[in-house]
Amino acid sequence: MLARSSELATYSSDGLPGYRLRPRLAVFPTTKQQLIDVVRLLAREHCPFVARGAGTGLSAGALASGDAVVIGLNRLNRILRIDPANRLAVVEPGAVNVTLTRAAGAHGLHYAPDPSSQTACTIGGNVAENSGGPHCLKYGVTLNHVAALEVILASGEIVALGNADGEADGYDLLGAFIGSEGCFGIALEVTVKLTPNPQGVRTLLADFMSIDAGARATSAIIAAGILPAALEMMDGPTIRAVEASIYAAGYPADADAVLLIELDGLDAGLDADVRLVEKHCLAAGARTVRIAANEDERARLWQGRKKAFGAMGRIAPDLVVQDAVIPRTKLPEVLRAIAAIAARWQIQVCNVFHAGDGNLHPNIGYDSRNADESRRVGMAMRDIMRACIDAGGTITGEHGIGLDKLEYMPQIFSPESLAAQCALRDAFDPERRANPGKVVPVHSCREWRGA
Amino acid sequence: MNNELTMPACAIPGTPLAAESAGINACVHCGFCLQACPTYIALGDENDSPRGRIYLMRALMEGELAVDDPAVHTHIDRCLGCRACETACPSGVPYGALLEATRATLSEVKRPPLRARFILALFARRRVMRIAVGAARLLRSTGLPKVLSRLPGDLGFAFAMLASSESPLARARAHAHGGSSAGYDARGDGSRGTFALLRGCVMEGLFTRANRATERTLVANDYRALAAPDQHCCGALHAHAGDLDMARTLARRNIAAFEKSGAEYVVTNAAGCGALLKEYGHLLANDAEWSARAADLSARARDVSELLAAAGPRVGAPLDYRVTYDAPCHLQHAQRITAAPLRVLDAIPGLERVALADADQCCGSAGIYNLLEPALSAAVLAPKIAHIELTGAALVATGNPGCLMQIGAGLQRAGHSARTIHPVELLDASYEAQARAEP
Repeated sequence: MLARSSELATYSSDGLPGYRLRPRLAVFPTTKQQLIDVVRLLAREHCPFVARGAGTGLSAGALASGDAVVIGLNRLNRILRIDPANRLAVVEPGAVNVTLTRAAGAHGLHYAPDPSSQTACTIGGNVAENSGGPHCLKYGVTLNHVAALEVILASGEIVALGNADGEADGYDLLGAFIGSEGCFGIALEVTVKLTPNPQGVRTLLADFMSIDAGARATSAIIAAGILPAALEMMDGPTIRAVEASIYAAGYPADADAVLLIELDGLDAGLDADVRLVEKHCLAAGARTVRIAANEDERARLWQGRKKAFGAMGRIAPDLVVQDAVIPRTKLPEVLRAIAAIAARWQIQVCNVFHAGDGNLHPNIGYDSRNADESRRVGMAMRDIMRACIDAGGTITGEHGIGLDKLEYMPQIFSPESLAAQCALRDAFDPERRANPGKVVPVHSCREWRGA
Repeated sequence: MNNELTMPACAIPGTPLAAESAGINACVHCGFCLQACPTYIALGDENDSPRGRIYLMRALMEGELAVDDPAVHTHIDRCLGCRACETACPSGVPYGALLEATRATLSEVKRPPLRARFILALFARRRVMRIAVGAARLLRSTGLPKVLSRLPGDLGFAFAMLASSESPLARARAHAHGGSSAGYDARGDGSRGTFALLRGCVMEGLFTRANRATERTLVANDYRALAAPDQHCCGALHAHAGDLDMARTLARRNIAAFEKSGAEYVVTNAAGCGALLKEYGHLLANDAEWSARAADLSARARDVSELLAAAGPRVGAPLDYRVTYDAPCHLQHAQRITAAPLRVLDAIPGLERVALADADQCCGSAGIYNLLEPALSAAVLAPKIAHIELTGAALVATGNPGCLMQIGAGLQRAGHSARTIHPVELLDASYEAQARAEP
């Protein structure tokens, strides 16, 4: 347990350093029973709490303020069981994503959701945020890979959600819990589905002299009926940040966009798809299409993409990353709109995103010591979200609402919809002590209560 | 940006940490460093992770925490300085430099523990150090440390470290060649350039064979040896402990000594020393008289494996050992040298090289860390020993005196027969076997 204010400072932010909130206490249970005891003690005291894994989240979702206690789950990191025959694994909530994939590798299996933070982030955090990752284009998000959960509700009651052996009866409460951002309770044990490693993998890098051309290629590939395992885009400023980092991947530094495309599956037919993708890229205006010759080159191309967010740290002292989803066909116009917004507010936007499913991640580097620049970044963020919503999109693909996107919720949900979300939350946590103040703006719930 | 705070002016102007503030700003808080950090893995508290420690440094800069805050001292003291976080960091945070600057800043309010000050003072005095190491060598030759290594606690571990510093090849070779272990006459044409060896305080005293092996294998690979008699301790331990002034004093002496030698390359076989030699330029960057000379020395500094790999190295006679390689942190993370030591081992026919799981993780030696934080050091060492046991290797090759003794002591106290050895010593044994076969 940490109570010293100087040691709690570290827990006052997550992966989005623009927010700082100091928790009242931080506790780190090392066994499941300790975690249960902690939650039950907090229930008796009617004390709010916030579960935290590795703190790599990007929506300020794991921050606690006021009376709230941080419950650190990072010491509950064991892989309890791997069942290769049924392709299942049971893990504690603090198990690290990539550790699970490494352990499953001995059986020719892996855990498919692969957020860019997979070397650090925890499965419990993935469940809370319904995390995606580059490969969710083909394989789906966390929701598609969790079979069952044992959770402790804020009241201290332990409930089983889902069923590892088949379909669960009744309403899909497992589906409701995944992506609830820590507001419905804490996972004690997570039963995940493991995916067989594909027989063959081909990784391509196509570079373009305009973002438009890259976006057209993306739409053409999907429209042709090919389902890549991943289809990622990076724009010029991102390419140059990555190439300046130790994860330099060999992306052409003078390109305005690169597409990183991965195809996987049975060896038979894979190369035919590769040729088709190559054709569509060239038709859309790609300068070159390079196919990774070996596993080393493939890993290098991916490292550049996965570490792109961190590599932006080279550009400016502070960094915000936005997360929005738009219809894939609207990519060219929304990316043009983002460029216009950046010009209007005189900021630099680096775009690195999951093009295949229209999930945008505009990154903006800035210096928080410069009040005027900070203000302009804030205004640009709002304009970008507005542009995405206007294009028929939504305000988060995989980072969650947390604190960072609370203000956009009323822009996409009616008061009635927000009230319905409050009602759902109340079914799990009527005292609203689990991760208070996140996801749904508090006033929405008050309105619902008054009605 | 609702909760954004505007950063106030620096609260500790003029301190070594303030001078490194750009490095702190490079951290974007992504957390990718967490799983690379041995103390975070062992303790499970972000205050003991690179991101958390950088947060503490930032809090010092912003005046949120005071330089005498005991929690800051605890978590900064606990850092191994292995710099595995630098390898994991996409943003290029110069963590090692930040740590040294923080320690230097903190030492102004609270001096390092007596044990540390004693050791650092010893290393800074060449003559006294030689006497101390000589006494240790004498003690080692009695065989007593091996017996005393069974003592419980820190004392037993210290004796185990000393006992494990003896070359595992020495006895076997002496036995096979009737007590002679004079080596062989290394020959080469000197065409690859000249080198001067940084002998190193511990290497020359306790790993004399590895130093001679370094000279012989380099000569056999066509480098020509030059002497640099005025050299001193490199100052790495002082820099890591935050005694940057002493580190700079020692750096200046070494720069002068190696300039005088006229050698193209300054070679070391100790990863920790090599990392600091390569950072002399940064260490003396603000010293108008020395900065250019320091940068020049850093540019000429090489680990022995780099020079050997550049030369091939020449293949020797077969040796029949099962060997695994553990990467010293200051080679892998600080100097980013990964392939060269493996090329040295792969020049030995017959050597069976098996991979070691988590070979890039720290062994817990970390300079004098194992003497200052013995419990945490042991917790970091434990998985290393377990992984070594799984390889079934008889020898663990690693190129740094601290790692050689830490892992060696860990193996010995775990009752394991595997021994540690410098990779260059194996190559040397291979060349020696060849020389004996074809006189």
